[in-house]
Amino acid sequence: MDLTETADEQAFRAEARAWLEANVPSGPLPSFDTAEGFELHRQWEAKLYEGRWSAVSWPVEYGGRGADYVKWLIFEEEYWRSGAPGRVSQNGIFLLGPTIIEVGTPEQKSRFLPAMAKSDEIWAQAWSEPDAGSDMAGIRSKAALSDDGSEWIINGQKIWASRAVWADWCFGIFRTDPESSRHKGLTFILMPLDTPGITVRPIAQLDGDTGFAEIFFDDVHVPIENTLGGVGNGWSVAMATAGFERGVSLRSPARFNVAVDRLIKLWIKIGDPDDDTMRDAVTDLWMQAEGYRLHTYMTVTKLLEGGHIGSESSLNKIFWSEMDVRAHELALQLLGPDAERIDGPHERWVDGFLFSLSGPLYAGTNEIQRNIIADRVLNLPRG
Amino acid sequence: MKFSFTSDQQQFAASLREMLEREFTAAHLRHVWETGAGHDPALWSRLAEMGVLSMMLPEADGGMGGDFVDTILLIEELGRAAVPGPVFETMTVGALALAGTPWAAGVADGSVAVTAALMGERYVPHTGVASVVLLSDHDSIRAIETSQLQLTEVEGIDHGRQLVTLAGTETAGVFVGSDRETATDAGSLAAAAYLLGLSSRMLAIAGDYARDRRQFGQPIGSFQAVKHLMADALLKVEFARPAVYRAAWSHATDSDTRARDVSMAKSLASDAAQKAARSALQVHGAIGYTWECDLQLFMKKAWALMPAWGNSSYHRRRVSDAVLGPR
Repeated sequence: MDLTETADEQAFRAEARAWLEANVPSGPLPSFDTAEGFELHRQWEAKLYEGRWSAVSWPVEYGGRGADYVKWLIFEEEYWRSGAPGRVSQNGIFLLGPTIIEVGTPEQKSRFLPAMAKSDEIWAQAWSEPDAGSDMAGIRSKAALSDDGSEWIINGQKIWASRAVWADWCFGIFRTDPESSRHKGLTFILMPLDTPGITVRPIAQLDGDTGFAEIFFDDVHVPIENTLGGVGNGWSVAMATAGFERGVSLRSPARFNVAVDRLIKLWIKIGDPDDDTMRDAVTDLWMQAEGYRLHTYMTVTKLLEGGHIGSESSLNKIFWSEMDVRAHELALQLLGPDAERIDGPHERWVDGFLFSLSGPLYAGTNEIQRNIIADRVLNLPRG
Repeated sequence: MKFSFTSDQQQFAASLREMLEREFTAAHLRHVWETGAGHDPALWSRLAEMGVLSMMLPEADGGMGGDFVDTILLIEELGRAAVPGPVFETMTVGALALAGTPWAAGVADGSVAVTAALMGERYVPHTGVASVVLLSDHDSIRAIETSQLQLTEVEGIDHGRQLVTLAGTETAGVFVGSDRETATDAGSLAAAAYLLGLSSRMLAIAGDYARDRRQFGQPIGSFQAVKHLMADALLKVEFARPAVYRAAWSHATDSDTRARDVSMAKSLASDAAQKAARSALQVHGAIGYTWECDLQLFMKKAWALMPAWGNSSYHRRRVSDAVLGPR
């Protein structure tokens, strides 16, 4: 055990900090769930790419730095501390990208990864369907092979597709064996969202912005080369992607440490020093954020030493999502009458609160995560 | 940055776990309870022989010369087995305070068990078993042979942790090396690690029961209400774990953040143990409420240790002072 940073890690941190200080936009950008905000975030991503900071953990040949997990966490700490914008490229760089690196063909890697790193192509997720939410194995959208076997012909509907309103491409799983059911006969397919036959219908979220959408597929032709990880392997490829999402990449600890630091500043500024209940609650939040950071460092050390992250990633997902809601609830409680204002005299919290509420729902609800923990970590019998 | 244990550290903990699973089962623990001995002398010798008791004692005193990082997994294993007697107290506070004294050799060979009351405890645990008690005297520590004291037993909930009140302590004993805060941080952290092991054991017992017990024609562990109860308890335990390990590093390196980190560890470990005990009991239903069910041996140890060495709210306040500034 050595919880200090190596000289190399310190140098990496210093380099990231210097670049971010020089380049992070001075004010907040409009939400990336608006047309204007989306393009401004895309420009920011391009700038990150120019500095080779957009995908630090990817191999150098695809625009990354080949950073190991510890360095990636260090970058994340510096990134969120600097007040840099949210990552509109999240779906691609953190979810699909690592999956392509793991199971993609050489052609797919060179075709998709550089454009993803530059955010020339921004990706949307297309997992859920109206009747396949928590029960994702109930997917019914079909992909049938064309007569000459060169294309998929896709019909069906996806919903809750994050970033789909303005993104360029989407990835998802489709039923390619019409006789199959549940986890079998599914295939992971990539396609441009402007393919003829695709209709995207934006859905206004709780905050009024259109961060997600329905996607309708009506005889959509997609080249067979856009199959990722082999025909019929969609479920396991998707689970690999979801594992990254729940486990390490989706919510690096840094943003919670930063959020809790903001909460502490707010408490110091406007909190009642005699209110021990609130003081204890803020302290609990600090301990949770710190505990999550430590847990993540323990996880990445395990990965670096050749271990694997399995179903225990579901523990992370519950932990950070509930912590995030709690931090925002506390901030609103501290704000008192100003909690109701969208943009009050203090820093904005209410929009962060609304966003935090999506955490326990997406990437598999927390109830589904508890089932996974019970079944696969605690080895309880399947229901 | 490397947040893991060496293979030596892991292997030592694994061999301790194997020994305890073989030689100190719940039936052995129940036997200690029934005899009223408060500890198991044969097991104590075994732990001395393995070098577990002297891990933190300097080599000059016949110890292993290890630090808290070398020791923390061992304490967790002792907690998993709910080893009775002043075991983590002897290994940590005892080794720190008695290094270089004539008692040190006895810590290493198992002839001296050490207990402590450094935080104003009204009842001193294990004093009938321990030959030396450490008491606070302002910021210093005095070591006293328990044979010099008048002990009055009081009945406690955990029969692996006998309680007494002390008299005749005012001037007895000799001052020993360690300062009080280093020692109380050691005791708090050791209690946290022990609670972590206890919590894992309680969840394991509950898991076994949930796989075995059938109602409505199926194992009760297949019901979501039971699954979610246990998943939530596991969550608390697994997020206390890295805090405990980090505090071991902070203690070993005498970090500036030692007080904060130890208190975070004890606060989270106490809360996790409370949740694990409560959930494990609920999973068992009525059988968990019986004297016969082994779960009680572990729950009662947890309930005794949660308030020991500073309860969760004491330690949370100490974290507050570090993070938010003193009140």
